[in-house]
Amino acid sequence: MNRTKASDDAAPPGPMIEVIDLRKSFNGREVLRGVSFKVWPREMLGIIGPSGCGKSTILKHLCGLLTPDSGQIIKRSDEVGLVFQGSALLNSLTVRENLALPLRHRKLSRAEQDRIIREKLELVGLAEYIDAYPTQLSGGQQKRTGFARAIVNDPKIILYDEPTTGLDPVMSTIIEDYMIELEHKLGAASIVVTHQPSTWSRTADRVLLVFGGRVVWEGNPDEALKSDDPYMRQFAHATREGPMEAGKV
Amino acid sequence: MTNLPAARKRIDPLLLLENWFGSGVRLIGQTLILLVLTVKYILRGEIDWKEVWRQCYIIGVNSFVVVGLTAVFTGFAMSLQIARELVLFGADTAIGGVVSLALVREIGPITAGVMVAGRVGSAIAAELTTMMITEQIDALTVMRIDPVQFLVVPRYLAAMFMMPALSVYAMFIGLLAGIQIAHTAANLPPETFMDSVKQTILDRDFTVHFSKSWINATLVIMLSCAIGLHTRGGAEDVGIATTRSIVWTMTMIFVFNYIVTSLTYAPR
Repeated sequence: MNRTKASDDAAPPGPMIEVIDLRKSFNGREVLRGVSFKVWPREMLGIIGPSGCGKSTILKHLCGLLTPDSGQIIKRSDEVGLVFQGSALLNSLTVRENLALPLRHRKLSRAEQDRIIREKLELVGLAEYIDAYPTQLSGGQQKRTGFARAIVNDPKIILYDEPTTGLDPVMSTIIEDYMIELEHKLGAASIVVTHQPSTWSRTADRVLLVFGGRVVWEGNPDEALKSDDPYMRQFAHATREGPMEAGKV
Repeated sequence: MTNLPAARKRIDPLLLLENWFGSGVRLIGQTLILLVLTVKYILRGEIDWKEVWRQCYIIGVNSFVVVGLTAVFTGFAMSLQIARELVLFGADTAIGGVVSLALVREIGPITAGVMVAGRVGSAIAAELTTMMITEQIDALTVMRIDPVQFLVVPRYLAAMFMMPALSVYAMFIGLLAGIQIAHTAANLPPETFMDSVKQTILDRDFTVHFSKSWINATLVIMLSCAIGLHTRGGAEDVGIATTRSIVWTMTMIFVFNYIVTSLTYAPR
């Protein structure tokens, strides 16, 4: 079966996202080999693992950029906000025009659109940059603008793709604080895909360790750091010895 | 441990041919699908006119200088050659007719098409490839905005408006260059030159002129966009996509130019 569906908001309480036995291959190479998990409302799930293990592939399925070979993705809302690793702001548009893009379908008046955009920019501390072009912003400001664009429609599900990769430790902490603040303010279910230890340990309520296209460990960040599981121990303590050999993702 | 140099890849001519042919067929298919989707959006009226006018400026207005420069020197060279031969045969009064025929039927659309392919087509391929690599196209898809409607439709409409304007402009500039050369090299008065033009050019020539312009606009925009929207990879691939776009659009402009000419002017 190859299905992705979104039920309405009036559905009985349950997981915001349910992924069942997700499988995907590229050019005959199996990248996901039966991934299953649930994300609950107001929960931030961390999907962690070494580079190339299939983390971002899971995220791309959740936001509709990829179609599974088999398995099921059940989402309780179609309103999904995705924060890209590199911000993915359109350089030919101003910050205001970038944030207006997700609002195009809502047929709002200009004033209403402006009010929402300013509100979201204030949330990330960038209201004074509303008419700037992305190239006029610093890397951290671009990342925060990407956050604002992802939440402009008040999504029920927020996905973060490597939100702190390539940032200095101070900027990483600022971004992580924004993620925690947004989770509290919006009450959305979130998934953060990352391999940065500070990011998953500070922001996630629960983590899944993915290796070889499968979930090999699941628990909360505190358990992860103390775990005796060979996969989790190797990943958490960044050691060479363990079942995760380089190149065998 | 000794670092050995990587073994040289063996070049298999058959494999190279297969890859080249396969990628060509794939690009033609992608271009045709893109054209169908673009026309579908235009027929539905789902057009961002503000972006269309912006693209008209980028594609058309910004191309006037290069098209003008190319047209004036092409006009000079061509008129000089024609004037030299016709004067030898005592047919100098026919210079205007021959020059204008070449300009209306071939040189005008070709000059505008080639210059727009080089200046605009390559820029579109590079821009869209960069947008693919930096996940901007993915961002549009996640925001439920079709990249074809958002990026391709305005560029296509703008090119359909501006390419005929540039072709006519190239033709007039070439004609002015012809008048100048005929006057200085063959001592032909501009009035005699223009009389010959009026007697030679038919309405059908303008129909062909505009048809070629629209075909060129379609080729430049659709091929460049198809290449840009289907390229993955890194910085190197932006360069490859740009080169590929120029090679394909220019080659196709000359191929289709010949097809239209042979369908309309071949002796029956």
